[in-house]
Amino acid sequence: MRRSAKRALPLPMLIVTALLLSACGSSSNNGGGSAATADDGAGGHRGGTLTVLTSQDIASLDPGITYQSLDLNVLASTVRTLYTYAPTDAATLVPDLAVGPPQVSGDGKTLTVRIRRGVSFGPPVNREVTASDVKYAIERGFNPNVANAYASTYYGDVVGADRADGGPIAGIEIPDDHTLVFRLTRPTASLLAQSTVLPLSAPVPPEYAKPLDAKAPSQYASHLISSGPYMIPADSDGKVLGEGYAPGRSLTLVRNPNWRAATDHRPAYVDEVVFRIGGSPTVYGRQAFAGRGLVLADPPTPALVKKAYQEARDQIFFSPGAGTRYAALNTAIPPFDDANVRKAVAAALDREQMRRVRGGAVIGDIASHFLYPGVQGFEEAGGLEGTGVDFLVHPEGDRALAARYMKAAGYPDGRYTGDETIQVVGLAGAPDSNDAQIFDQTLKDLGFKTNLKIVGSDVMYGRFCGVPRARVHACPNVGWIRDFADPQTVLNLPFNGNYIFPENNPNWPQLNDPAINRAMARGELVVGEQARARAWAQIDRMVTATAAAIPWLYDRQPNLFAADVRCVPELWNQGHCDFAYTSLK
Amino acid sequence: MAAYVLRRVLWGVVLLALVSLLTFVVFYVLPSADPAQLRAGRNADPGTLAQIRENLGLDRSLTAQYWTFLTHLVLHADLGFSYFSGASVGSLLVDRLPATISLTLGAVVIWVLVAVPLGVVSAVRRGTWVDKLTTTGALLGISAPVYWLGLVALYLFADDIGKLPLLPGAGAYVPLTEDPWQWFTSLILPWLVLSSTFTAVYARLLRGNMIEVLSEDYVRTARAKGLSERRVVWNHALRGAVTPLVTLAGLDIGLLLGGAVLTETVFGIPGIGRLNYEAIVHSDYPVIQGTVLFAACFVIVANIVVDVAYAYIDPRVREQ
Amino acid sequence: MSVGAPGLLAHEERYERDFAGGVARSPWQLFWRRLRADRVALAALTVIVALILVALLAPLVVKLAGAPGPNVQDRNATDMFGTPLGPNGAHWFGVDPLGRDVFSRTIYGARIALLVGIVGTGVAVLVGVTVGLLAGYYRGWVDTLLSRFVDVVLSFPVLLLGIGIASACSLGSGCVGGAVSPGVRTVILVVVLVTWTSIARVVRGQVLSLREREFVVAARSLGASNRRIVTREILPNLTAPVIVYSSLLLPQTILLEAALSFLGVGVSPPTASWGWMIADASDTFDTQWWYMVFPGAALLLTVLAFNLLGDGLRDALDPRADR
Repeated sequence: MRRSAKRALPLPMLIVTALLLSACGSSSNNGGGSAATADDGAGGHRGGTLTVLTSQDIASLDPGITYQSLDLNVLASTVRTLYTYAPTDAATLVPDLAVGPPQVSGDGKTLTVRIRRGVSFGPPVNREVTASDVKYAIERGFNPNVANAYASTYYGDVVGADRADGGPIAGIEIPDDHTLVFRLTRPTASLLAQSTVLPLSAPVPPEYAKPLDAKAPSQYASHLISSGPYMIPADSDGKVLGEGYAPGRSLTLVRNPNWRAATDHRPAYVDEVVFRIGGSPTVYGRQAFAGRGLVLADPPTPALVKKAYQEARDQIFFSPGAGTRYAALNTAIPPFDDANVRKAVAAALDREQMRRVRGGAVIGDIASHFLYPGVQGFEEAGGLEGTGVDFLVHPEGDRALAARYMKAAGYPDGRYTGDETIQVVGLAGAPDSNDAQIFDQTLKDLGFKTNLKIVGSDVMYGRFCGVPRARVHACPNVGWIRDFADPQTVLNLPFNGNYIFPENNPNWPQLNDPAINRAMARGELVVGEQARARAWAQIDRMVTATAAAIPWLYDRQPNLFAADVRCVPELWNQGHCDFAYTSLK
Repeated sequence: MAAYVLRRVLWGVVLLALVSLLTFVVFYVLPSADPAQLRAGRNADPGTLAQIRENLGLDRSLTAQYWTFLTHLVLHADLGFSYFSGASVGSLLVDRLPATISLTLGAVVIWVLVAVPLGVVSAVRRGTWVDKLTTTGALLGISAPVYWLGLVALYLFADDIGKLPLLPGAGAYVPLTEDPWQWFTSLILPWLVLSSTFTAVYARLLRGNMIEVLSEDYVRTARAKGLSERRVVWNHALRGAVTPLVTLAGLDIGLLLGGAVLTETVFGIPGIGRLNYEAIVHSDYPVIQGTVLFAACFVIVANIVVDVAYAYIDPRVREQ
Repeated sequence: MSVGAPGLLAHEERYERDFAGGVARSPWQLFWRRLRADRVALAALTVIVALILVALLAPLVVKLAGAPGPNVQDRNATDMFGTPLGPNGAHWFGVDPLGRDVFSRTIYGARIALLVGIVGTGVAVLVGVTVGLLAGYYRGWVDTLLSRFVDVVLSFPVLLLGIGIASACSLGSGCVGGAVSPGVRTVILVVVLVTWTSIARVVRGQVLSLREREFVVAARSLGASNRRIVTREILPNLTAPVIVYSSLLLPQTILLEAALSFLGVGVSPPTASWGWMIADASDTFDTQWWYMVFPGAALLLTVLAFNLLGDGLRDALDPRADR
């Protein structure tokens, strides 16, 4: 349920759906890669130091706040959530802190989870993890000092959650130290079970964290307590800021002395993971390609993708199902309030070129609707062929069709002759800025006067695309990734008229179609994977038909690492190497 | 003398206050992103955003915010915390300072060692090929953008991508304490590139001054007294010609210590210039305020030092 | 930089040249004679005129060269991985990652460079002269106030100030209530803000010394109003130093615009700007050298020409110097 793009945008991406996705797991339906296939890490060498190069800093290490793919990557080896995925099987829910599968009651309103014994917190807390630690972790998500982004979305149906502000929530019960029972107001327990893969369910020791959470903003992020195989070095009070974490410079992960391999399916081969933060992605890319023990956390540049693809294919992994990229058109203000104008732009856009400047066919498939390969409902909505709308049939664009749509909109020459100057806001940094310029030129070719702004990610979302009153007409660099494979997480927030907010608006096109809103409301309550797939595939078709956003790429995120690194990619998290499974050759 | 120094220092403090006010006005009144949203981590809840705004004090009037900032700074030496990373601004500055100092001092050493002899020699041998070469080189030095020179230098000499791999390329910088040899070699190209403009300017300036001075009376007197040409040039003429350069150098050093953002960008050196630039792009007000004040401090101190030195030499200056 | 006959010092040659034939000449005539004799400065002037023509007639130049427009994205000029082609018959300077012709964009880049440089310097000089004149002529509290203000601005790390303003004003509807819209106008504003102080200081110094000169004292004793004195006596004598200073300032403003564009806070894409192109090229210049070399060389050439001209002007105007 988050904005796509590995490092420019945050994305919580978790694939749940225990039953049906195994077919779409690691060996995806695409021609691009006979690159390294997903390694599950079995039999790796113990020891060594892995160095991760990242130009973007960690946004937050607090599991109650974290929402970015790099942060999720770090947390996956430092904390343990109730359920998780093995890196190379993004379909199967695997119990992590939990024992056994989640137990959903017949009426769908109760979820029972048993907690494993023998899992301990890292220093300085040092004691065994109990169910109340998970209860507190979830409750603190509602504390304004923590302000978790998805707590109300996924835990909002828990009894008492609507009034929660950091204090105890009645609907989360602890019958004993190792059992958690969630009582819900609506029959959405299976969705809740799936959402426990998100880090909010990672245990947080209340006696340690409460004083930190009382501060605004919470200081827990600088005192992170580990529950996984690795931890961040801290001083005797547990403060990591200044010890293991130097913002903008470096982060270190070392082994958690209290972690017991018997309680975990993770092998944890490497002894240490060191992050070097803040350099240039191009330079880092070269270093990772030619060096030893290095992993590149940034997306490699198109030039590097080409080089690795041609010279060292086992050093690059294309992770399928990494999200959909699309261009959002503001349907609330002219000229894009007119569907014909939107369809004209969609028809005119050369999506092939948009992909090419990112690296070409190896890095993804041309998108024709919003559910993407690996998500339930993708095939039902048309798969790679598309939903059948004429304006998305030609990947290279169809100028004649675009002209026809412009004429239908009332511009007899097939070109725009109105007064509006189109405000386009794109993302800085190649290749995103190149995509923005392609889009901008497409508009110009259709006769629009445009004003293109290329800005950083925070500004793009925080000041322009996510703020309706900024009156931005087009945002070509947006996208979405699911929280888990359930299609609701791909379509609901970005296209539901009920989710248009004055700030931090996720529904960038401000689509507010009553028929679609109703369909989504019904779709939330549909039970059963097949039925949900069909329901949301239908919604996907409806959204695509409005042309409120123009899908252009199904990302197959490339990941680069040094020749001596045996990277185990997290298919659920854009292919980042999972530190608890990766080893050095 | 003491009175003069005191006056200059007091004025320096006032200047700093004014600079901080100017920074505040510019960067608060003309924002580029909402720091509350940065903090909120994209939580879509408007109520939470409002809460965070209150926590950060962003909902108070600008004067109140400025006053808080000023009191924190003066009373607690607290520059605040970064909106973006949460780290204290002071710690960020301290963290980045060594890189900037390394870059600046090395560049200064080079430009002094190169500009002075070049300036003198080309003045003395005016019209010869040495002079022509120097002036042409100097012209190129002041005409080429420093970042372009940096890229060309990397293209030619960087050991990872250069045609003649000789020196470490971009991103190779490590702190002195970590690996002295790598620290040194990774800074060679940045030093050369950064000093190029300054060397050019100073060589030209010195040449011009030297030519003037060499035709002045006291130099002719020195020659008439039978002193060797070498002594005349290096001991007598140079002293007269170099004074304005010392002033300029002091000011330039002060400027560079505030961070050489262009060079730092090209070579990936984590200095204060780069910190400031990133803070501006992220609208990270506390860091912007901190780095600008920091940079202004150096400039002001340099100015004071230079003025006091002048007053020491020329008593008439003290009356101003 | 004159080449002399052996045996004569430079100022002696100049004397010879200026007064050969015993004809008395006005200062301006002398200026032109000296400038005409300076071959290097003349060459620089020619280059500058050529650049201005090229900038003004950019579309024509591009058409004559047979190159596509600066914003035409040629799909066939990049390979299947998106890698652009280098210099070849169809694209003399190669293409950029979007398939746009680098030659075209370099030519159009001259427009921005010269526009910002000339207009920016012009406005900065206007502001600087005004402030310097007021401060130097009226002295007293006016001078103190203005000089202190200049001090504050000079204490500010000016490039950072410029970046901050450019970054802030380039978003949305600009600043100063929309008067400064994003794009070229913002860059010009920033350039002016950063450079006016040096002219102000120089002018102030000049005016301070000028106002004590005999002709000014005489004019005042004859009862001339301040305005007359300023316009008739002071301003004309400022012309020479102002011209010299402007010619020295121009290349710096061009470099400043390029630096702001390099940092991403100058003119926005897709407008072609040399600084922006160099920044864009800095990720791939190890394999795509043309994208970095040609705009940089163009920038170097332009700035060099202005510097040479500035030197020549200074030599020609300054009666005393024999540089």
